[in-house]
Amino acid sequence: MTGGVVTSARSLTGARIFEVQRADAMTQLLLFNVTNGLIIGAFYVLMALGLSLILNLSNVINFAHGGFLVIGGYIAYTITPYLGFWGALLVAPLLTAAIGIVVERILIRPLYGRDPLYSLLLTFGLAFIIEDGTRFIWGAQGKPVTIPAFLAQPLSYEFFFITGYRLFMVLMVVASVSLLFALLRYTRLGMRIRAGTLDLETVSALGINVGMLRSLNFAVGVFLAGLSGVLAAGQLGLEPTMGTGLLMPSFVAIIVGGVGSLPGTLFGGLLIGVASGVTAVFLPSASEAIMYVLMAVVLLIRPRGLFGEEGMMT
Amino acid sequence: MNRRTLLKAGAAVGAAQIASPFVIAARGETPIKIGMVDPLTGVYAAVAQNEVVGARLAVDNINAKGGVLGRPLELLVEDSANDVGTGVQKTRKLIERDQVSFIIGDVNSGIAQAMAQVTAEKKVLHVVSGGHTDGITGKDCKWNVYRVCNTTRMEANSVSDLLFNKYGKRWHFITPDYAFGHTLQEACAANLKKLGGTVTGNELAPLGTSDFSAYLIKARAANPDVLILLPQGSDMVNCLKQIVQFGINRQIHVAGTQQELESLEALPPEARIGIWMFEWYWKQANTPHLAEFVAEIRKRTGGKVPTARTWFGYTSVYTFALAANREKTIDSFKLAQALGDFEMPDEVKLQPNKVYYRKGDHQLMTSAFVGEAQPKGASDPQDLFRVDSIVAGDTTSPPVSETGCTLQWPA
Repeated sequence: MTGGVVTSARSLTGARIFEVQRADAMTQLLLFNVTNGLIIGAFYVLMALGLSLILNLSNVINFAHGGFLVIGGYIAYTITPYLGFWGALLVAPLLTAAIGIVVERILIRPLYGRDPLYSLLLTFGLAFIIEDGTRFIWGAQGKPVTIPAFLAQPLSYEFFFITGYRLFMVLMVVASVSLLFALLRYTRLGMRIRAGTLDLETVSALGINVGMLRSLNFAVGVFLAGLSGVLAAGQLGLEPTMGTGLLMPSFVAIIVGGVGSLPGTLFGGLLIGVASGVTAVFLPSASEAIMYVLMAVVLLIRPRGLFGEEGMMT
Repeated sequence: MNRRTLLKAGAAVGAAQIASPFVIAARGETPIKIGMVDPLTGVYAAVAQNEVVGARLAVDNINAKGGVLGRPLELLVEDSANDVGTGVQKTRKLIERDQVSFIIGDVNSGIAQAMAQVTAEKKVLHVVSGGHTDGITGKDCKWNVYRVCNTTRMEANSVSDLLFNKYGKRWHFITPDYAFGHTLQEACAANLKKLGGTVTGNELAPLGTSDFSAYLIKARAANPDVLILLPQGSDMVNCLKQIVQFGINRQIHVAGTQQELESLEALPPEARIGIWMFEWYWKQANTPHLAEFVAEIRKRTGGKVPTARTWFGYTSVYTFALAANREKTIDSFKLAQALGDFEMPDEVKLQPNKVYYRKGDHQLMTSAFVGEAQPKGASDPQDLFRVDSIVAGDTTSPPVSETGCTLQWPA
């Protein structure tokens, strides 16, 4: 009898230990995926901030943003043999921004006075042209981009999904976001962009060259797309269609965060990154859909987005 | 917005360049038209374009030797844009407006199946060049449809034993969440069960997933012996690239079934790892006519070697030409009957084993090239795969009775 009691007590403890271990494994999985989601979200933020900048000042919904990302990636691929990864990281976004200025001057500028639908259609078409253009120039075959070896490995055995490269990416995002916010907060250009976002007519009436302002603002936005492209090429396959898949989450980030608010975009990007990371644990097939569900819920409860100001999209 | 118009213009220019030489060569004879529908844009663009390159070489070779029944062949290429609706519409257009005699396509299994509905309705002989899902020569098989590339079951059968014996018995899958992935995963899991192994998990990743980290976190937590990767194209590239950066390949064996040269070329050297099967490979010892084929393709592509896809396109065109010249007709019904048990000659098969269409399900019995990816080609930078064995198609394929195919011939 006694023996039997002891055995069952033992097996009970065993079951408990097993339960605790399972709970631990679950907590760890969740923790991993939240962290992982933040990393992915950071990337969306970089993309979305550029989009958001352009949308806020010029009311242009830039569907070609994914295209500029691809251009950034391919330029980096092309110049890496000459300048190395670090040189490409600096030069490729600048060249992409230069292309952005040309596009803004020639194609987008004539449409500023019109309904935002015109520029949306234009950039939508431009996205296809860029995709086919990159395919024409670099070929449909994906290109390998090699990153420095010391970045291409995990920092620890346990947290294997935090590689040197992903940490570097997050640092780049933090640095870019800080610089961007400092630029907007403390420089004359930044103040003008912010003022223009609120009331472009008055800014123009005060004698500020609005055309120049829009060009520079567009260039900063496209620079961020180019930078995203170089960073993405380091951990994804570089091919002409890669921009499309990365563009939609960035739009969702803006809408969730609230159109017109850069901090909102920042928050929105991180939020959808985490949401999709955590969903992938429980229901992988919904890991993409969850972003749109999140967007729908936010729009239903708070149509202006979490941090958005009322009436920004009119 | 005007993408299709743009593409059509582009395709027309391309077709005109290719078409002109042999129209001149065989003056006076009306050409026999072959329509080809493949996703020239979208995520499968690279593999689709290689199929077209192979098909064009076949057309030029055939025309240089007098064409088909004394008439030149003409290849009309249309872009399915990796979209089922577009693929179907282009197939209809080729048959109804351009009056093509035969149809080739598509890389995408879903589009290939939808196209087969159209070609069966129009009674046009159709060769599926590169869509792998079992149904095409299985439960959805049709009298007018033949397939060049492997079925997913053939792919699974070619490597399962090797992976089990060499890497271990606990397998974890990353599977693309659509028809191709599902049938491939089921076939692998069935083989594993027969061998006495266990599936530790199956991560269904949506097609077009760029970040695989969440799936990889789950897969590593399950601690399998082998991580089996079933995605294709850019999904495969992204997945392998992340696996290597995470160092997972140093803890768990990484392998899979179908691998393609296009994917390995898109990867940095350190990520070219694992045991796989290729459906055709450009480097083989002592295979007759192979060297000429490789040289001719390299001449046309600026030095790029042919891939399995190039060979698919090449063999698809030859299927029509060889049968038509032998039977002295271009009638789809007669040719469909003649192609049952049709054996490919050395100039076309370009591999050691016997290659033939199986009468019962119209599946080409073509070999699996089983081996390992290699980071750098020893003698040629494009030699990224080491072939260890070439397994004949009739040993990897289940018997016709197990495919679920019953051919219904028109009365």
